Amino acid sequence: MNPVIKINGLSFGYEFGDSVLKDIYLEISPGEMVALVGQNGAGKTTLVKHLIGLLRPPAGKVSVADLDVANTRISKLSRQVGYVFQNPDHQIFHDTVQAEVAFGLNNLGLPREEVEPRVTAALSDVGLEHLAHENPQRLSRGQRQRVALASVLALRTPVIVLDEPTTGQDYQERKQIMALVEQLNKAGHTIVFITHDMSLVAHYASRVVVLCQGRIILDGDTREVFRQTDKLAESLLLPPQVTVLANQLNEPLNTSVSPVILSVDEMQDYLQRVREVKRNGTGD
Amino acid sequence: MTSNNFLIQLNNFTYQYPHTANNALKSINLSLKKGSFVGFAGPTGAGKTTLIKSINGIVPHFEGGTFSGEVLLNGKAADTMSTAEIGRSVGTVLDDPEAQIICLDVEQELVFGMENYGVPPAEMEQRMQKALASVGIAHLLGRSTASLSGGQKQRLAIAAALAMLPEVLVLDEPTSELDPLGSEEVFRVLKQLHQEQGMTILVTEQKTDLLARYCDQLVILREGEMVLSGTPREVFQHQDIFELGVALPEVTELARRYYPQAEPPITLDEGVQFCRNVILSFGG
Repeated sequence: MNPVIKINGLSFGYEFGDSVLKDIYLEISPGEMVALVGQNGAGKTTLVKHLIGLLRPPAGKVSVADLDVANTRISKLSRQVGYVFQNPDHQIFHDTVQAEVAFGLNNLGLPREEVEPRVTAALSDVGLEHLAHENPQRLSRGQRQRVALASVLALRTPVIVLDEPTTGQDYQERKQIMALVEQLNKAGHTIVFITHDMSLVAHYASRVVVLCQGRIILDGDTREVFRQTDKLAESLLLPPQVTVLANQLNEPLNTSVSPVILSVDEMQDYLQRVREVKRNGTGD
Repeated sequence: MTSNNFLIQLNNFTYQYPHTANNALKSINLSLKKGSFVGFAGPTGAGKTTLIKSINGIVPHFEGGTFSGEVLLNGKAADTMSTAEIGRSVGTVLDDPEAQIICLDVEQELVFGMENYGVPPAEMEQRMQKALASVGIAHLLGRSTASLSGGQKQRLAIAAALAMLPEVLVLDEPTSELDPLGSEEVFRVLKQLHQEQGMTILVTEQKTDLLARYCDQLVILREGEMVLSGTPREVFQHQDIFELGVALPEVTELARRYYPQAEPPITLDEGVQFCRNVILSFGG
């Protein structure tokens, strides 16, 4: 399938600063769910800002849905890609939740009878319908994050980019938000999300892109990326605790490749297999 | 008034923000001695931030609202003290270092609070050096605050609090904006302050894995109530923990599936040992 996101030799540096992105090549197909990970300062946010035209590439080419980001108006681009900011306070400026979520839709020139149901649906998706008339500034950080998410969901863009969507959220809310994102992905949206939470990556992403000092140092299937413990260590990342646990256990299963465990469920299955091997004295 | 030796005491403390329908804190009873290292966990809206604010005086001094019961600092009722007076004994670190750090360079940031309290210049220098050394960033003295990493910014915020020579540090989700390495950095510094200077530390945190490894006492809040309190191991062993919306460390969750009643592992090393024992029990 033709990639929906194409980044070809992108390099970028802020004024008076060192280069932040170095020679990035990345293609993402429609319907993928990609986690973008790396230390603070690795260039993750800078990279995704190029997908929405907030930054224009001085070198290299970035295209989204066959639109060249360098010379496409933001109003046109924003029909293709929605962006949820890392800090909701950089995004929210209206004095009711409802007006905030309606803002983007009104900008698209949608008629009122279409805006209202979309706002209601988006607020209900993030579990905030009861706060529609509140001032966002009176809400908790976690709730403001979901207001920001709702305002992007309402736009129903084919590509959705989320910059640390679960910051400030508790355990249940993290799961709810990611379940919602997963649902959007299953409905056909292409998802790119930035996170520091490796358990979320393990549970939800099918592909992981690791940025380290402005370069992509790993890009692949989630399980394969978490197998590369040395490369991950280079970018000071640790796989989920249970993945490291299985790794350190290093229990031979008479298979040539040791498994990469991504969840507690998988660890339980793995121990069950170890048990069978012990009982039968043979593997596989 | 100071007949007991508790540094912080909340006696039947109930608090309600202005213009809200429910109590944010409900009959909290908590007595902490000097040198405690306490973690607070629970879903968003559980009252973690409000609890922190009632110790540093933001509640009720700035927030208004109504309360009953009392908060005592060294036996003295906090609501009768000025915030300036409370600020001498309670140092505060917020979740977002961008919101807390206000000066352009590291030195100004440290001097700012001391100037406000009229610390003599000769003493400032000494306090500044000690505070920076305590959090391991003495080499950053001349740097602009904008050039610091997330972990460094939070350590600077801690140092600025330490320069006021507080008796207790309260931190509200200090790692929520940080990558895994930066989060570890912050907690390592807290542990060191606790061990070497006997600093009393109260910290709210979503990453229960960090609380498990660093705190002596863990308190779980839900809907304004203190529902569990004990060592991290005791709390994670409790049968109700799964219903409280708190993530367990993955090794703890795994172990509880095998032995729900037993004392669970709470760190990676303990988890590896646990799995080895499980595998041994398979025989073979």
